[in-house]
Amino acid sequence: MTRKMTRYSLKSQATGWLLLMPAAVFLIAFTYYPTIATLAKSFFSQGTALRPSQFVGLENYASLLDDEVFWKVARNNIIYAGITIPISIALALLMAIWVNGRLPLRSLTRISYFTPTILPMIAVANIWLFFYTPEIGLLDQTLRGAGFNGHNWLGDPNTVLGCIIVVTIWKESGFFMIFYLAALQSLPPELEEAAKLEGASRWTYFRRVMFPLLMPTTLFVMINAVINSFKLVDHLFILTKGGPDNSSSLLLYYIYEVAFSFLDQAYASTLTVILLGALAAIAIAQFVFIDKKVHYQ
Amino acid sequence: MSAIELSDIVKRWGETTAVDNVSFKIEDGDFVVLLGPSGCGKSTTLRMIAGLEDVTAGTMKLNGVDMTNVAPSKRRISMVFQSYALFPHLSVEENILFGLKVRKIPRDERATRLDKVAELVGLSTLLDRKPSQLSGGQRQRVALARAVIAENKICLMDEPLSNLDAKLRQDMRFEIRALQERLNMTVVYVTHDQAEAMSMADKVILMREGRIEQEGTPDELYNRPATVFAASFIGTPPMNLINTTTHDGAFVIEGENQTQVLETSLSEVLIGIRPEHISITDDQGIQAQLLSADYQGADTIVNGLIGTQKVLIRTPGRVAINKPLHARLSWNKDNVHVFKADTGARTELINAVSV
Amino acid sequence: MRSNFKPKLLKLAIAGAFSLGLASSALAVDLTMYYPVAVGGPLTKIVDGMVSEFEKQNPDIHVKAIYAGNYNDARIKSLAALKSGKPAQTAVMFSIDIYELIEQGAIVAFDDVVETVEEKAWLKSFYPALMENGKTQGKTWGIPFQRSTIVMYYNKDAFRKAGLDPEKPPATWDELVSMGQKLTQKTGGKVDQWGAMIPSTGYPYWMFGALSMQNDQTLMNGDGNKTNFDAPATVAALQFWKDLGSKHKIMPSGTIEWGTLRQNFLAGKTAIMWHSTGNLTVVKKKAKFDFGVAMLPANKRRGTPTGGGNFYIFKKSTPEERKASMKLIRFLTDPERTAEWSMKTGYLATSAGAYGTAKLKQYVKDFPPAAVARDQLKFATAELSTYQTGRIRKLLDDAIQSVLTGAKSPAEALTGAQKKAERLLKRYR
Repeated sequence: MTRKMTRYSLKSQATGWLLLMPAAVFLIAFTYYPTIATLAKSFFSQGTALRPSQFVGLENYASLLDDEVFWKVARNNIIYAGITIPISIALALLMAIWVNGRLPLRSLTRISYFTPTILPMIAVANIWLFFYTPEIGLLDQTLRGAGFNGHNWLGDPNTVLGCIIVVTIWKESGFFMIFYLAALQSLPPELEEAAKLEGASRWTYFRRVMFPLLMPTTLFVMINAVINSFKLVDHLFILTKGGPDNSSSLLLYYIYEVAFSFLDQAYASTLTVILLGALAAIAIAQFVFIDKKVHYQ
Repeated sequence: MSAIELSDIVKRWGETTAVDNVSFKIEDGDFVVLLGPSGCGKSTTLRMIAGLEDVTAGTMKLNGVDMTNVAPSKRRISMVFQSYALFPHLSVEENILFGLKVRKIPRDERATRLDKVAELVGLSTLLDRKPSQLSGGQRQRVALARAVIAENKICLMDEPLSNLDAKLRQDMRFEIRALQERLNMTVVYVTHDQAEAMSMADKVILMREGRIEQEGTPDELYNRPATVFAASFIGTPPMNLINTTTHDGAFVIEGENQTQVLETSLSEVLIGIRPEHISITDDQGIQAQLLSADYQGADTIVNGLIGTQKVLIRTPGRVAINKPLHARLSWNKDNVHVFKADTGARTELINAVSV
Repeated sequence: MRSNFKPKLLKLAIAGAFSLGLASSALAVDLTMYYPVAVGGPLTKIVDGMVSEFEKQNPDIHVKAIYAGNYNDARIKSLAALKSGKPAQTAVMFSIDIYELIEQGAIVAFDDVVETVEEKAWLKSFYPALMENGKTQGKTWGIPFQRSTIVMYYNKDAFRKAGLDPEKPPATWDELVSMGQKLTQKTGGKVDQWGAMIPSTGYPYWMFGALSMQNDQTLMNGDGNKTNFDAPATVAALQFWKDLGSKHKIMPSGTIEWGTLRQNFLAGKTAIMWHSTGNLTVVKKKAKFDFGVAMLPANKRRGTPTGGGNFYIFKKSTPEERKASMKLIRFLTDPERTAEWSMKTGYLATSAGAYGTAKLKQYVKDFPPAAVARDQLKFATAELSTYQTGRIRKLLDDAIQSVLTGAKSPAEALTGAQKKAERLLKRYR
């Protein structure tokens, strides 16, 4: 009896493992292995034909602490995330509410809000490059038309990060809008009517009913926004290459530079470990602290 | 001064007219049912009273004050939605208190009213739950509690029982009616279920295609239907509507051609007889064929044929019909309603004959 | 029995074929060559055309020419191919990648491949300035192929409007400033046309190589293990660049975008721009005004860095493959081919021999701006190239940009960059 059970459970265990195989293979090959390899690499020096790679312990991490560029880039990224995330989410919500209502040419408006999302970031950056270009750019020409002097938007360390942030918000909020729009359309209209009859203003309805009910979407969008704020650097290649003087450089762009321009994969791995750690910490924090407050239907 | 007064209310969406010149008055403390098939404009009318739909034309007064274009929140009206419209993220207590908080009612008073209302609808033990943790009937009670706690004189209900099972629906009818009487509320209640209307209403307003077909007490609608539509909509099974014709100078049922059923006839008419007013007899009455029987427990609905005309007969006890058989049917002329075939309107000018 | 028979027969057949027609050549050689495209135009077609011509003349060599993206991609792909089982034998890569490639042990010096007197002479046939980036440790590692320099484009109409002689572009820094001030047009406080623009994104170190050379100062030594960022002449050159914007006001302050500068010039927003010769063909096509091309102005002397790509031969190759690669490179860099390549692309012709060909002579006669880059070559120097070249370049780029944007003084920025460069390069001495 017992032997039979054991055999049976062994067999069913094997089936289970077999079914897991395809997913596991891909996860290991494309997620776990690279993560572990990156971590391992960060403890070695960069090898060349003349100087083979060797174990250096935490040396790479120590030089990271001394790396001015790293600190500048990290600071940039925090500002970049701190501004793009809340504004793009708020804008997305606002646009979603706006196009969810009755308005003429509604689908046209929806499409026009969504268009930036469909465009590849490289194309977007090229469009914006000509907005920002001094003298002949759209922005400068408009300013000049209004009687102001032009400004070297991307050439000024004080404005360049702001310019990058605007492009990102422009690109992202349309994408997040779609999620909010879908969520809004799943909200029964009677809820708003009921609230109205109870004397609630539009703001009260938004604050007490709509926004709490959109929380699952907000959480989802927020995690995406956080990841994107560290992941989305395509436009830097076109717009600024991180300059002037690293004023618009972000962590991932810096990692790219270190890995493929400086050919220092050891240090790039070190930076990557820091980036992964930060992202993991943020994601965990979001799930632990915010998830409790989210109402899932 | 009526609690609610609608005068020539019209609602149009582009080309379609959903509500077409509707006027009625509802007196204080009345339980009025807006009845009709789906698409008849009853819900739209209710929503216009609430202010959730704009009025295309006409005026609406509450207690004599013109409220046609006043925001819903200023009308002091409560409403129970078909879907209950409970806020899923709020507890039962927060749902019930939502309006009071919005209107900044002091905390003490809120607590007092909550206790009272929770008691009234039997939710006292469930106040901490979320709507998703409640049964359909319990959600219904929360919706009622939310409507009641505002202490508005007028409460609108849009098919509030249609999501409940039959048994619960029965119970809730009595509860809602009892609640209304106890709090002396003016209720406008929308339903497509004529049985609900008959059992609950002080007054029924029967609507069809955006117009009022008949307005009156359940009794009046049942006993003196104003139109063929009213006759066929009220009662289960509905009233038999039978075509008549002239044969050898006699006014007879189509295809039967022997028995006089009307004294006179001015034009083509229909006669209406409720199934419960037809009895099956052995030797007298009109010739008929009985085709099948539908046993209901207390009585049986028999499917019959007079001439070419189908009739339903409600007869007490259990009757079994295995194969078609001949029988005779009889009715009293007082139970016969006469309608004009062309307009469908009731006429009193033609008298029926008992058979 | 049977299993032994077939291969034998095959070998016999092959031997027979060789003894018949191809007796002189060794076994057929397959070559893989990576090359980048850094400027616009149908460059891949031109390369493919030349390669197929080569194959026609050398039926025993098969060349797979693979377009590998920009310079950065070409380097990454070539190095990746070396690590994998299917390496390339030769590639065109950034001329300044030389130290990186040596450090990776990826390439061989041409001195170790050339044998005959003729081949040795060929090695000396290129302009010396173009060889600078290909030579270190006393050996030649790269052969110039798609090369460029910086030249000065100027708007002759704007010169006329400002009362300047359109045939006398600024030849010195002082003239650049004085003419630039005349060329800067304002209405009210708004500038409608700037005097000059020198791009400072993308490749600021390259433009700066010109300025420092004009101040008679190279940016690094010939071994690629020492930089001269904090030399007084270097600091003064950066000060001059900065002053063009902030003091003389003939150039916008802040950094100037590499990618959109050409549009600014074509739109008449600047009377002068410094840019790669690679833009010559496009400017010629698109300019709606009379434009000229001139050598960059001088301070202590004239000067410009060279730029662009060199041929390299990879170490991971057989002697036969190296020989074949040599053949291919010699074919692609012979005067006739070079002349054709230069006319079609706008790149410099890399040897005096090429400029001596009839067709290029005629072309230069018809379109004199094409000669400016050549004439400037005698003043040219190597592009910034060192060990750890990516990092060193970035240090200088950041220093330049921090000065142009007003965050640091030239001395402060360049001393800082030099200090960091020292730390990186010490171990290569």
